Amino acid sequence: MNRNRFVADLSIIGAEIKKTAKIWFSYKILLFFWAIFPLIWVIPYIFQGKALVGGMASGPFAQLTGTENYIAFVLIGAMVSTYIFSGLWGVGNSLREETYWGTLEYIIVAPTSLLVILIGKTLAEFLYATVMVAFQATLATIFFGLNLTLNKLFPLMMIVVLLVIGFYGFAIAFAGFTLLIKEVHGWVHTLEWVFFLFSPIRYPVEVNPITKIVSAFIPLTYALVAIRAIILLNKNVVNLWQIVLILLIMDVVLIGGGYLLFNKLEFRTKKAGTMSEY
Amino acid sequence: MGIVVNNVVKRFKRGKGFARHYITACDHISFTIQKGELFGLLGPNGAGKTTLVRCIATLLIPDEGKITIFGKDVLKQSMEARRKIGLLTSGERTLYWKLSGRDNLNFFAALYGLVGKERDKRIDYLLELLGLKDVAEERVEKYSSGMKQKLSLARALLHNPEILLLDEPTLGLDPQFARFIRSFIKEELVKREGKTILLTTHYMDEADELCERIAFINRGKIIDVKTPLEYKHEIPHTEVLELRLKGNLSEAKLKTELGKINTIEKISLLNNQGEATLKIIAQRVETILSDVIELVRNESKILAIDVKEPTLEDVFIYLTGTSLKEDTREAQTNNESE
Amino acid sequence: MKTFFHYLRAIWAENIKEWKIELTYKADFLRGLIDPLVYVLPYLLYGIALVGGRNSQSLEKLTGTGDLITFVTLGYIFIGFLNMALWAMGFSLRKEQYWGTLEAVFAAPVPRWVYALGMAVHSTMHQGLMIALQLIVISLVFKLSVNISGIVPSLAVVGVMLIALYGLGMMIASLTLIFKQGWLISEALSSLIMIVTPIAYPLAVLPIVMQKVAMVLPTTYGILTVRHFLIGEKMGFSVATSFFRLLILCVLWVAFGLIVFAFIDKKTRSSGTLAHY
Repeated sequence: MNRNRFVADLSIIGAEIKKTAKIWFSYKILLFFWAIFPLIWVIPYIFQGKALVGGMASGPFAQLTGTENYIAFVLIGAMVSTYIFSGLWGVGNSLREETYWGTLEYIIVAPTSLLVILIGKTLAEFLYATVMVAFQATLATIFFGLNLTLNKLFPLMMIVVLLVIGFYGFAIAFAGFTLLIKEVHGWVHTLEWVFFLFSPIRYPVEVNPITKIVSAFIPLTYALVAIRAIILLNKNVVNLWQIVLILLIMDVVLIGGGYLLFNKLEFRTKKAGTMSEY
Repeated sequence: MGIVVNNVVKRFKRGKGFARHYITACDHISFTIQKGELFGLLGPNGAGKTTLVRCIATLLIPDEGKITIFGKDVLKQSMEARRKIGLLTSGERTLYWKLSGRDNLNFFAALYGLVGKERDKRIDYLLELLGLKDVAEERVEKYSSGMKQKLSLARALLHNPEILLLDEPTLGLDPQFARFIRSFIKEELVKREGKTILLTTHYMDEADELCERIAFINRGKIIDVKTPLEYKHEIPHTEVLELRLKGNLSEAKLKTELGKINTIEKISLLNNQGEATLKIIAQRVETILSDVIELVRNESKILAIDVKEPTLEDVFIYLTGTSLKEDTREAQTNNESE
Repeated sequence: MKTFFHYLRAIWAENIKEWKIELTYKADFLRGLIDPLVYVLPYLLYGIALVGGRNSQSLEKLTGTGDLITFVTLGYIFIGFLNMALWAMGFSLRKEQYWGTLEAVFAAPVPRWVYALGMAVHSTMHQGLMIALQLIVISLVFKLSVNISGIVPSLAVVGVMLIALYGLGMMIASLTLIFKQGWLISEALSSLIMIVTPIAYPLAVLPIVMQKVAMVLPTTYGILTVRHFLIGEKMGFSVATSFFRLLILCVLWVAFGLIVFAFIDKKTRSSGTLAHY
């Protein structure tokens, strides 16, 4: 790659991050929303656990997950799911949003690649989600007694980065897909629920043979297992090398596949001329 | 009496905190429209025309004043009033795009209490009358903007209302459709059916061609109510000198310069895409022509010169100092963000 | 009498129009049928993971019924009506505003509540369809066992709960006209009501404050009484008490919904924001 081009791309990415951040701060109430609601959504799971188990520790749960602490289990799932929401809505839906604002065509005629813009959006989303998760973690520690220690921060961030590289790669391909379809919100909702059903965000997928098999193809599953192992079972990353390897392989596949798919979809949309339709 | 508008005031809040202020969209507006009359409201964008139409259509509550329709108060007897009104607004999005033309009409027919054979007959009649029969079963999203406007007009006529409120009915239409709509209003609605019509527009030709009486409205105020002919007699022995100039010019500067010529009565300047149109209203233009050219030449290059009989627009400029093509909406009117 | 039939037909026309528009988005419609299923399953699988089967002794001790699958399924299926009020009905006016048709509808000679009832009819039919589908699929996978004799009285309870929820739906529908981020109101209300309503657990596991709040929610009585009829859940109060309270809440919620609706209608007509999107 040409060095000047690289520098130019970097400054475009920087500009996109700045723009995205400014738009968030114009919706201040959304900052509050994402800092709190992912935790609120799992409260019913906590009460459901209390009613079904009759206490705070479940033996059958420990057999499936290695921990009997189901509250910590769902809280961690909730925090990690923030990255899923940000990927699907922030990256996946972002080009749709630009068409809605009427700005997409102006971005496309500019002498830059749409992909560079999307990378900017992705980085911005990652920063945003991380700030939200940090806030949620504080709340979870104070109100739900989640035991988080700072020395686990580095290995946790490493797993999170491995997760989001692949997941945001997928989200970029999805963003390309949204140029072709119209009812994007419905699709995003359905994808959300697919992730909630086929990865251990809210329950251990091992409980059912079908969900267990399907979830093996979703990187989120491995990331969640690793994150919970670090926090709840005090494992270190070296013990988890197999999971890290699987995540790395999946990242390569998803980024490569996402890139190819996006280019193909972008080309198709330009040919079909459906880009600015809303 | 058809429509009586009595001292209507409507203000809108703009801005927040210290920047909060009010703009007056309708400023003590009064007029009366006779039964069977085609009455025009002519004024530039932002003059308050649409606000007034919405007040009459019961969609807006005025801050002061009273509006009656055939004696029914639009606020206190709003159901009776709504039954008498057919409303046509401008703009693309006023129909269900995902439904066919006929489905749209069927739905609104139910809201207006039309049923069974009577409804079907009426819808068929209107589709035929407006030339929409062949596309009646197609989804509205496939219609051109002219066809959409025709369908909106059919909707306004569904319940055969005594009063029609037509808010900029030809805005954004291509000339052919605009001509159709105008002749439909004149021949069908006025001559054949004798409807009482309030038409708002910022096209002077439209007002001139259609309306029996016209109210000039500017910045929320009614300037005058007269017939088109009476308006043109308003400025006797006056001619309009129109100059097309290159570049965007400063209105203030031109006005001071030209103000030195004391037989000039009114000056208006409209800058548009690198060209400016200067209109000078004066008695006996030939006496000032060379002076004007001399002065203007210092400021810009003259592209064309024309001397005309006054039009309604010239009268409007004469009375208000504002061109009909101007946009008098205030910058704060944009309240999309929240 | 003539006016009555006119309004009735307007309500029906509103319902038909909504169906027609909905069915033009075929992919969305089909996905809409699958979504509620995917939504319920994690709660069921989580329950099984917690107790290592479908029978919970703790739940039996608390409610008199130990079958967590039937218990949780019934809860989440009937709370679907809450989401109907908050989303389908709640966003109907906003949709018209987006389409640009709201003014044409409001200029017609029918009162606003007729329009609101039209949306209520459509969203109830829609949600009814979803619930039927959820019930069929889940009972095929998990085998639900309910008292057949409890079905008719359950429907009566659901009917009264629905009326109360229409009140909520009307309130949201009007609020979305003045708050551009109206979905936040729906999301917040739905999240909070769903925590406090005993959907997947009995009231007893909630902190006292939340139990108190649950007592003013029609969904609490709706779901508890339905489960009482269908699987014999112990409620802690009699069926008559439950009905009585539900009726009172019904009146209060509908009155509240109407007042907010009328207030906002007047406000938007004064400020001139009816047509703004």
